[in-house]
Amino acid sequence: MTAPLLAARGLEYAYPGGVTALRGLDLNIERGWKLAVLGPNGSGKTTLLLHLNGACKPTRGEIRLDGQPARYDHRALNQWRRRVGLVLQEPDDQLFAATVEQDVSFGPLNLGLSEAEAAERVHEALTALRVTHLADRPTHALSFGQKKRVAIAGVLAMRPEILVLDEPTAGLDPHGVTHLLGVLQQLREAGTTLVFSTHDVDLAYGWADQVAVFHEGAVLCQGETAAVLGNRDVLHRARLRPPLLLEVTEMLGMGRDRLQPTPRSREAVLELLRERLGRPSSAAFMEPAPAHSRRGPLE
Amino acid sequence: MRAIDHHAWTNRWRRWHPAEKLLPASGLLVLTLILPPLTTAPLVLAGAVLATVRGAGVPLPTLLSVLAAPTAFLVAGIPFLAVSVDFTQGFDLRLSNDGWWLALTTMLRALAAMSCLAFLILTTPLTDWITSLRRVGVPSGVVELILLTYRLIFVFVERALTGHQAQTARLGHSRVDRSVRSLGWLAGNLFQRALAQARRLEIGLLARGYTGELRVLAPPHVLSRTRLAAGLGLVGLVGAASGLLARGFS
Repeated sequence: MTAPLLAARGLEYAYPGGVTALRGLDLNIERGWKLAVLGPNGSGKTTLLLHLNGACKPTRGEIRLDGQPARYDHRALNQWRRRVGLVLQEPDDQLFAATVEQDVSFGPLNLGLSEAEAAERVHEALTALRVTHLADRPTHALSFGQKKRVAIAGVLAMRPEILVLDEPTAGLDPHGVTHLLGVLQQLREAGTTLVFSTHDVDLAYGWADQVAVFHEGAVLCQGETAAVLGNRDVLHRARLRPPLLLEVTEMLGMGRDRLQPTPRSREAVLELLRERLGRPSSAAFMEPAPAHSRRGPLE
Repeated sequence: MRAIDHHAWTNRWRRWHPAEKLLPASGLLVLTLILPPLTTAPLVLAGAVLATVRGAGVPLPTLLSVLAAPTAFLVAGIPFLAVSVDFTQGFDLRLSNDGWWLALTTMLRALAAMSCLAFLILTTPLTDWITSLRRVGVPSGVVELILLTYRLIFVFVERALTGHQAQTARLGHSRVDRSVRSLGWLAGNLFQRALAQARRLEIGLLARGYTGELRVLAPPHVLSRTRLAAGLGLVGLVGAASGLLARGFS
């Protein structure tokens, strides 16, 4: 078995002043994953993410990159941060330059790219986040959602292998969330490994393919989304509610049938409900739902 | 301040090279200072106002509000120039002819000069000026610090305003003594948050490969000779017109 791309082993961290944030945490991140780090506020999610790009150095334990223990000297940190991009939760903590274009160019120029190449990267990142129209706007005059996208573009422009996002959907309206998830999905398809923290069980259920449940500074359970979030015992101990979609499909008698995957998208579950209630589907005429969700559970 | 900043970033002439705006503005300023004010100042004033409102598309009310505060100071100072006090024979207070003349010309000069400055700050974002500092030899560390300060001012003004609103909502400003105490807390709180913000900003910058220099793409300003020439032309025109008028008066 090959070593995971990025891993934490027995990670412990105490903030100066004595607050212990991490207590012996283990985590694996494999190439191509969409991993949700799930836990309530104050459970240590942000502290963990800060360890993933070397912004924090563990008190005990270690981070491993490709199986090698991470080093914290200047050069190693630079190499590390080229590979692992970190997007902070609060975009105002990240945007520093006068205009959007300038801010996004900061990372590429630090990679040693020429100005022309950097401009190219800026354009590429702004296009991916669909904010090219904001390019020469001042960063302080953007809305929260716009700032958030620009902050992500600033990290994306460095083309990291792993993109780590701290609460990427926090503070966004539903449209903004849909938009952001669409962008992240495209990145995922282009080969970027994604790690994001959230306290939203439904988001993790609908979107991640791996979940790590946080509890008191350690990972209580990591595994495939459906398996972890279907485990009532784990959810209970982490004081999390089961995902709504999972509860609904279970009520419809879906979850027990191991041969059929449980639908995880809102549309698929709504379609199931319509079939069950015998109502004509409006969505079915517009676009075909994924194959598994069109089959009723009783077939 | 927010209105000035908004127009500086959105006016029609924003993308012009700062020098193209600095040249006519400073040219007109010099004319105001060296030529007889009675004829020059109104022309300069008209030129600067037209350039700001007609040219760059900044609304007239905004320009007027920018000019209002310094004008108020100016008006307050006028009586002291117009009135002469003579202590040689007891106490003698009178309006002197010289005084009136001095007051009028000073007023005109100051107003014209201010309109030139208003044109500059309303048509060019502050960051363009700050970046230009680098070109005249200010160390880049200092320039970066000023740019960061400029960026963070908006974050903190925002926080100070919301903090003030939150305090007001809980009656923190219902009496003068409470207000003083609340403002003290607000200031203390902002200070702590500034420190925390600085720490987080550093994490964010380090994540993007910060190594001690805040290098970004330079704003794409191209110096246009045509516009430079037009600016010079305007200055020449105002100078000539003012000279002719002055000769006509005398």
